[in-house]
Amino acid sequence: MGRILVVTSGKGGVGKTTTTANLGMALARLGKTVALMDADFGLRNLDLLLGLENRIVYTALEVLAGECRLEQALVRDKRQPGLALLAAAQNRNKDAINPDQMKLLAEQLAGRFDYVLIDCPAGIESGFRNAIAPAQAAIVVTTPEVAAVRDADRVVGLMEAAGIRNSRLIVNRIRPGLSQVNDMMTVADVREILAIPLLGVVPDDERVIVATNRGEPLVLDKNLSLPGMAFHNIARRLEGEKVEFLDLDAPYNTLLGRLQRALQRKIF
Amino acid sequence: MGESGSLGTLLGLFLEPTEQGIRLHIPPAQTGLDWSVLWPLVEQCLQWTTPWWPPDTAVELLALDRLLDSRHLHDLATLLRGRGLILARVTTDRRQTAVAAATAGYSVEQPPPPQATWSNGRPAGAPPLYIRHTVRSGAEVNHPGTVVVWGDVNPGGRIVAQGDIFIWGHLRGVAHAGCTGDGQRFILALRMDPTQLRIAGHVARPPANPAPDACPEVAYQTAGQIQIVPAWDFVKSHPGGYAE
Ligand SMILES: Nc1ncnc2c1ncn2[C@@H]1O[C@H](COP(=O)(O)OP(=O)(O)O)[C@@H](O)[C@H]1O
Ligand SMILES: [Mg+2]
Repeated sequence: MGRILVVTSGKGGVGKTTTTANLGMALARLGKTVALMDADFGLRNLDLLLGLENRIVYTALEVLAGECRLEQALVRDKRQPGLALLAAAQNRNKDAINPDQMKLLAEQLAGRFDYVLIDCPAGIESGFRNAIAPAQAAIVVTTPEVAAVRDADRVVGLMEAAGIRNSRLIVNRIRPGLSQVNDMMTVADVREILAIPLLGVVPDDERVIVATNRGEPLVLDKNLSLPGMAFHNIARRLEGEKVEFLDLDAPYNTLLGRLQRALQRKIF
Repeated sequence: MGESGSLGTLLGLFLEPTEQGIRLHIPPAQTGLDWSVLWPLVEQCLQWTTPWWPPDTAVELLALDRLLDSRHLHDLATLLRGRGLILARVTTDRRQTAVAAATAGYSVEQPPPPQATWSNGRPAGAPPLYIRHTVRSGAEVNHPGTVVVWGDVNPGGRIVAQGDIFIWGHLRGVAHAGCTGDGQRFILALRMDPTQLRIAGHVARPPANPAPDACPEVAYQTAGQIQIVPAWDFVKSHPGGYAE
């Protein structure tokens, strides 16, 4: 049986879909078979990021309605044969599917793939409940901002209550440099609050946005960019390899930087 | 939690963790509270409590002198099931309630367990509540006694206790001790960076820049103000938790 992981965050726009797409590709490049499930019904965009939008014929809803077989609804990626996408219906609302149905689909996929990655919608309502229902573990994505971390913390707590106790953390969009000291937290600050193991750190990089718009995940690049490398490293860590974290905080750790942060420590 | 939640707590409506699972305390009939008044409070109490228990935790209902029939028990069991709890046992000293519970298949306990403990003439309320995990954003703990947290209380987390609050970790959320008016209660944290502190009716927002290497501290109320002192100093000036 494959591993079922949910990629979640609480807050929207922090990089869940970006992470799901790149991690899926990176795992496939490591020779794993991977199914990506878009759980963001009504607001799907995982297919866009993967550049698979125009190949979708069936979605999860047709599978559940018995209108097609699961195999027919899976969109295989030509660039990475190990990777497949199960799309969400764009024109339905979040209540088009329930947690038991999500479980059913995810477990069927887990019978055929090494990994099932579920792209969770923002919020903590039914879409979130659906997405976490089948998950054995979670990848919590946050940016180093107070509001995002607060929501991530909420989500970790809700998942703990639902019996998912092995969440791991990705801090996305890290912008090294003292100019950001004012409104950004450091990775250490984020870890201190969330107190779950760190799975990876990803720099803020406009190449991520460019790749998103092109539908070509960064990890496909021949010469890996820094964010591409970050996602590649995360995939290796999921596979149990010990890989050093990119030191994106390096510019912070000057004496001056630390002093500034100490002076600006605020909790309100 | 809103006003009626605190009202529920005040009345003696709360969940107490036990070795076997959870004990649900409801106010006894002698309080004069009718079931129809009580039921919405029970619903709120369960809906507002963020589950800290694993799924399918067994619940003992402490019904005491309350007359409950099979429908009451059925409604309660349904409500509990929706929160991942399973009504397993009913403790009552009413024969009719015992019969209804036994008929519905619950195990029935007749003699009630010991009442709330008292210390030094001050009621200590319910037995202490031990929380063995981080209290995360959005979680609120309400307890009619002392609360001990083995972990952090994160920003957005909240502890409200009728007794004292001990946090064996980093307090960054809200802590309210002596919530029903006991100004002698205190709050201890290994690291004190709260969003807000309350003791009885007093409110304090701590300074915006706490010392980076803070030691364990105690917050207590004196002369109408909340003071924060190193725990070690508090122990010396307040042996046994009282001002000398
Ligand atoms: N590391 C990054 N650097 C720059 N932009 C990023 C990064 N990660 C995500 N983004 C951008 O942020 C936006 C939101 O990302 P997305 O993955 O859709 O978030 P979510 O799925 O959490 O709502 C997208 O425009 C994406 O390109
Ligand atoms: Mg998304």
